[in-house]
Amino acid sequence: MSHWMFIELLSIVCPWLVLLRGFQFLAGRFRPQWRGWGRLSLLGLVAGGLLAVPAQGMPIAGWVRGLNANFSIPFTGLIAAAVWEEEFRRKLFSAGDWTAGWAFGAVAGLALYPLALGWGRFDPYEWGWSFSPLFVVSAALSVILLWKQNRFGLLLLLAILAYSLRLLESANYWDYLVDPVYCVVSMVAILWRLRLSSFLSLT
Amino acid sequence: MKSASVRWILISAAIVLNGLPWLQSAHRGPRHSPSFALSAQPPPTDRAPVFSEGLIDPESTSPMSHVASLCELADGRLAAVWYAGSREGARDVAIFFATQDVASSTWSKPRAILTPALVARDLNRRIRKVGNPVIFSNAAGKLFLLYVTINLGGWSCSSLNLTTSSDAGLSWGPSRRLTLSPFFNLSELVRNRPVPMADGGWVVPIYHELAGKFPELLWLRETAAGLSATKTRITGGRSAFQPTLAPLTTNAAVVFLRDCSPRKRVSVARTADAGRSWLLPEALELPNPDSGLASVRLSDGRVLLAFNDSPAGRSNLRLAVSDDDGRTWKRLATLAEEPGAEFSYPFLLQTRDGRVHLVYTWKRKGIKHVAFNAAWLDTRPSTPSR
Repeated sequence: MSHWMFIELLSIVCPWLVLLRGFQFLAGRFRPQWRGWGRLSLLGLVAGGLLAVPAQGMPIAGWVRGLNANFSIPFTGLIAAAVWEEEFRRKLFSAGDWTAGWAFGAVAGLALYPLALGWGRFDPYEWGWSFSPLFVVSAALSVILLWKQNRFGLLLLLAILAYSLRLLESANYWDYLVDPVYCVVSMVAILWRLRLSSFLSLT
Repeated sequence: MKSASVRWILISAAIVLNGLPWLQSAHRGPRHSPSFALSAQPPPTDRAPVFSEGLIDPESTSPMSHVASLCELADGRLAAVWYAGSREGARDVAIFFATQDVASSTWSKPRAILTPALVARDLNRRIRKVGNPVIFSNAAGKLFLLYVTINLGGWSCSSLNLTTSSDAGLSWGPSRRLTLSPFFNLSELVRNRPVPMADGGWVVPIYHELAGKFPELLWLRETAAGLSATKTRITGGRSAFQPTLAPLTTNAAVVFLRDCSPRKRVSVARTADAGRSWLLPEALELPNPDSGLASVRLSDGRVLLAFNDSPAGRSNLRLAVSDDDGRTWKRLATLAEEPGAEFSYPFLLQTRDGRVHLVYTWKRKGIKHVAFNAAWLDTRPSTPSR
């Protein structure tokens, strides 16, 4: 398998995992007791098959790649963890790990997108092309999280590893760290948690 | 994560991997700082005024043709690209390629080299539209073609792609998507002439027009590891875009910008460090009706500008020249003028023989090619811009 084929394959892993998580949700509604490797394999095949279905001459995976070919590594990792936890009912990530993941997605996205889309003269996206303060911050954050045994630190480690190997179509480190879908999901998750915690405090 | 040794291994890996880019930049030596490659062009050989014009494809069956660009091939021929189809943004729009024979000055029959279907196959993703092709060549004669594709929405949702040809445009390699924006890689467009750098790379004026409208630079360089494509910003904002870049010295350059603000004037920004930093844009006296313009620094040092000389529309196309690096201007010639018609998206190039070539969209029906020399420019009566 060539490097480019691997990059193309990796670009649909995140959408595949999202689909898989959706199918897990649906399967859980109809057969709650059915879990494990058998279900995971079957749902994985169904999700993969759906992405391979052609629509107007192009597999659905090609349509997804047309929308976004650079899903970030932490987001992919968080979805993979969610799939695993749902399937095997075992916690991979603690509440603190999840909080770190959503907080990172929201903060990184809010720090990047408004400026990158033209708000002001400074474009932080330039920091992702080569060594810059972005790598210093990434290293410091990874070290702190790993030191505190926060498993989201492992996903940041995977992000810099993927960047070193250029496993995404992008050559910019920002795209390995965050993507717009991750940012939006992170903000929704944080708001949901805030709403939940305020609800709990009220009751 | 419970084992302390595993934790230290992971922490060490994080430090090493994040430090690798620093090691790589240190290995490359001092900060990469290329300068513009100013071609040492010989003085024009023809001293008599020369002027010619004509449609590149007068027998075109396409109802719409738009956004042309030019480059000089290794053998002195001209190569032109543009997009054409039933209407702007239609799915049948293709990118066409033609060459001009040196001796007869006739253009070859254009042929479609890129269609949405071809590009979709190359990029392995859905592509709905193609457009804005910009062609350029390196010293070895290799052709590069930058163009935009759209998957969803309009032009502001474009992404940039690159393909190359090593046989003067007879065949083109697979296209490659350039990731230049963190937001779904949306809204990176190209329109104007790239400028060669002294290190063999190119700087391409590009622009963004999604939330804001602002000019940027795309830095292209062929390395041992493949093509390097990075991006820097000229300025932010919402009103000045579609930059046209004219180097003045190896480090100084100006960009002239299309203006979509109520001011309706061409603006100019300057750099003194080969594009790494820019002063804030300033408005010139020349009007701009929110339309594209083109500039070129001639071999005699003058800067030539092709633009729509009106704050309201694209019904004329004029040439203006500046002897002081774009500060003051003299209008030299009207290339096209007709009420209600559109003459737009000029692209300027000076070839090795000193001739200046201009292509532009002619009434949206065709691409007109105009060729002239410095002697012809000198015969034109000039009108100061004020």
